Amino acid sequence: MRHRRPEYRGQTVFLSITLLLAPGISLADGLVVDRVYDPYVQPLETELEWRALVVQDDDNPALDGLQVHRLGVGYGFTDRWFGEIYVIGSDGGGEEFGVEAVELEAKWQLTEQGEYAADWGLLFELEKETDGDQWEGAATLLALREWGRWVGTANLAVGYEWGDDITSEWESELRLQGRYRLQESFEPALEFYAGEDYRGLGPIARGSHRFSDARRLTWEFGVILGLTDESPEQSWRLLVEYEFF
Amino acid sequence: MLERTACRRLVLLWMLAASVKAVAADRPIVELEIRNHLFHPAEILMPAHTKVKLIVYNRDPTPEEFESYELNREKVIMGGQRAIIFIGPLAPGEYPFFGEFNPNTAQGKIIVK
Repeated sequence: MRHRRPEYRGQTVFLSITLLLAPGISLADGLVVDRVYDPYVQPLETELEWRALVVQDDDNPALDGLQVHRLGVGYGFTDRWFGEIYVIGSDGGGEEFGVEAVELEAKWQLTEQGEYAADWGLLFELEKETDGDQWEGAATLLALREWGRWVGTANLAVGYEWGDDITSEWESELRLQGRYRLQESFEPALEFYAGEDYRGLGPIARGSHRFSDARRLTWEFGVILGLTDESPEQSWRLLVEYEFF
Repeated sequence: MLERTACRRLVLLWMLAASVKAVAADRPIVELEIRNHLFHPAEILMPAHTKVKLIVYNRDPTPEEFESYELNREKVIMGGQRAIIFIGPLAPGEYPFFGEFNPNTAQGKIIVK
């Protein structure tokens, strides 16, 4: 009997999770395109983050032109836990721009980078709408595997919405990213997002620039193209992250 | 539908547990020290195509970050503590690393043969 090496067993786990859960996924009916999280945490690190999403869809006036912006500040409390708080604003698809929600986020790094065939983490999110009684909580499994210069990342989220002003429901999301580590200043990637009424795929570019005193600026920019009739045609996303100690 | 979803979640948990158990116990161990914002030794030899457990002892009272884009590793080591960094398997070659808090002095490289 031929025994499978631990590395291959872990690889099988990583791929199996994706394939097993993707076809039957019952996902969020909101905006699915966001960012793909890695499972890593650095202690003492402070992070300032701006995320922007612009949706274009000629067939859906309610979504066409919608902008969502997130401003966040985070801190690595230990070598396992990272916490971040966000303020989320939106123009609501043609309405006046305003703050719509606040969110708390905690990332838990479960394994050391490179220790197993894949690296694992968990992300916990709690969001509260500023107008009305609307809450959303989610837990996301984060997995990352390296194949030389290639890096594959999967995020599988399960969430629940509740409150007096919203119909309570379970949601889930799947986010995948394949990235090539070409050079620190420029890395091309391909991302896939899945939601109840959404499937999207598109190219992303990302890069980092180091400053003195262990400061770093990271950016991501790309467009996710809707793959189904129900999906918005284009979702442009931008992320700018400034990290320092 | 609910049973199908529950089954999927159970299988997912089982696979996660199996992954965590799959640890190779006989990995080579290499030790590295940070003293006075310098890496000792500054050059480390490692075998090719082998995963290595690198233990970094920070003998300084201040934190340091082991950083290497070539190795795809980034790890903050608090003052007076140690950290474990798993590296490889790597192809033969040279892989530079540095201390991000003291990049002018804390420099080194891993030579893989």
